[in-house]
Amino acid sequence: MATNVRLPRTVSPAPRTIGRSLLLTSPIIVWSILMFANPNTQGDRRSQIAGAITAVFMIALFFMMMRTGTTYRCRRLFFVSLGILFPVGFIHNVIAARGTMGIPIEEMIAGRTPFCFMPIPLLILPAAFTRTLVFPGSILPNGGMSGGGMAAMVGIWLAITLVIGKGWCSYACFFGGIEEGIAALPKRAKIRKIDVRWRYGPWAVLLAMVLLSLALFEPAYCMWLCPFKAVSEYVAARNTVGLVQNGIFVTLFAGLVIVLPLLTKKRTQCSIFCPFGAFQSIFNKTSIFEVKIDQTRCQPCVLCQNACPNMSLSRESIARGETLMSCMKCGACVDVCPRQAVVWHIKGTEVAVKPERARLMFLYAAWAMAVMFGGSIIAQGLTTILHFLA
Amino acid sequence: MRLRAKLAYTAAGLTLLAALLVPFLLMGLFTRTFAAMDLHVDEMYSGGPTVRTVQSGAYSIAIHRPVYPHMLQNERPFVQLDWKPVSALPGRVSDVVDIDGDGRPDVRVSFEAPKDPKTPLRVNVEPLSLRYEAMRNVGKEQYSRLIVRVDDAILIRVPLANQ
Repeated sequence: MATNVRLPRTVSPAPRTIGRSLLLTSPIIVWSILMFANPNTQGDRRSQIAGAITAVFMIALFFMMMRTGTTYRCRRLFFVSLGILFPVGFIHNVIAARGTMGIPIEEMIAGRTPFCFMPIPLLILPAAFTRTLVFPGSILPNGGMSGGGMAAMVGIWLAITLVIGKGWCSYACFFGGIEEGIAALPKRAKIRKIDVRWRYGPWAVLLAMVLLSLALFEPAYCMWLCPFKAVSEYVAARNTVGLVQNGIFVTLFAGLVIVLPLLTKKRTQCSIFCPFGAFQSIFNKTSIFEVKIDQTRCQPCVLCQNACPNMSLSRESIARGETLMSCMKCGACVDVCPRQAVVWHIKGTEVAVKPERARLMFLYAAWAMAVMFGGSIIAQGLTTILHFLA
Repeated sequence: MRLRAKLAYTAAGLTLLAALLVPFLLMGLFTRTFAAMDLHVDEMYSGGPTVRTVQSGAYSIAIHRPVYPHMLQNERPFVQLDWKPVSALPGRVSDVVDIDGDGRPDVRVSFEAPKDPKTPLRVNVEPLSLRYEAMRNVGKEQYSRLIVRVDDAILIRVPLANQ
């Protein structure tokens, strides 16, 4: 029905002048200088160069977002860079520290397993019942690959989540960029119809993993299902069980992060599998920023639904004038709408009244977090590349 | 502008302010709060707290509190013993250890202590008390029965026998 509707000509937002775009970018310029003028890297020339390149890159992307009035493409460029450069820097550090991507049992016992954000929801129930963290890391920095320890990762995650909620999945997650980049490669999706029930996948995986982690007292997702172990680190295979675990990691990575995004042009791992994404969706309820659909302008052409990389729009939700709880605030639907009916929105205000103000407020918050967290990871990856080039 | 909208913009402004404070205040605050929550890493990984240290010549043996698995954890109860420093250990170690401190020996532990930290370790444990299980030529198969080198210590986990 909706696909037969004649679409109005796409109306792109009028570009801003260069001067005005620069003026709007100036807070991000100051922020980037603050973030990358790190006195700790004064002696390290490669880190300084990588920091400078990253700062210019982030500022240029924000400038383009201001100039064009669109969000998705520039954000995607940042996000894909993050997804590519995270494994570059991380794998280099892991191999430099221990000579392999496999985590030996000695490192786990010593509490030096690097802690990413993925196991956070799995830790909650065991910690609540027994005050025990079921992860072979350390709470505070402990040398080796322990980084800042679990406390630092939880602190960063909580602070960023407080600011942008589920926006984490579009502006901070250092895994999602890989599949977003792969999903951008084909011109058209080979699989266009995806059963809506797959949207419940992340919730099912989250529930199963939380309960399993409580029962087995181990980070079950990290031990058995995380596709990104294939590009970060994995439990060193000491026996058949270890080999099976590593086989699962590689298979899931190939299926969910490479093959399905190529076929569907969606972030399939995020949309149908990622338990952390489901957990993070809860924080969409606490975030002040959201995406809404102005029903007075909407002619339900479902272009937004097709463009959404996370299956966060349905005909029913469009009819209600809102996105689903899993919306990552990537901006794809806003940019694609030919009638500018899909808008950024601040909860409590009227829909489509000054949507650009809502967009700017969200983007300043989100980009500040992207520069601070993602930017530092991009800079680390670039430092590694410069190290190899030198 | 309606009051509701004013409140909404105020909240959005506060969110922006929070964003500015993240690297300078909030991140550190949340990190310190989490670290101060009296949580601890599962003893199956950490080996539990040290309860006693026995001096044996130039090196010492730290005896940890026994660790028991939770719920469906696929491990045996065990006790961890740490020999350190590695530099003070003889080429072949064979010690009788009184684990529970009752004055009677509980296990005889024997292992080679090579200087090269990359050399794989194997351990034999002969139980002298019914409370502990024997280990023959064990490497690092499970958390509850292993020998590994961590920094300047050799850690051995002896499984407790079913009673």
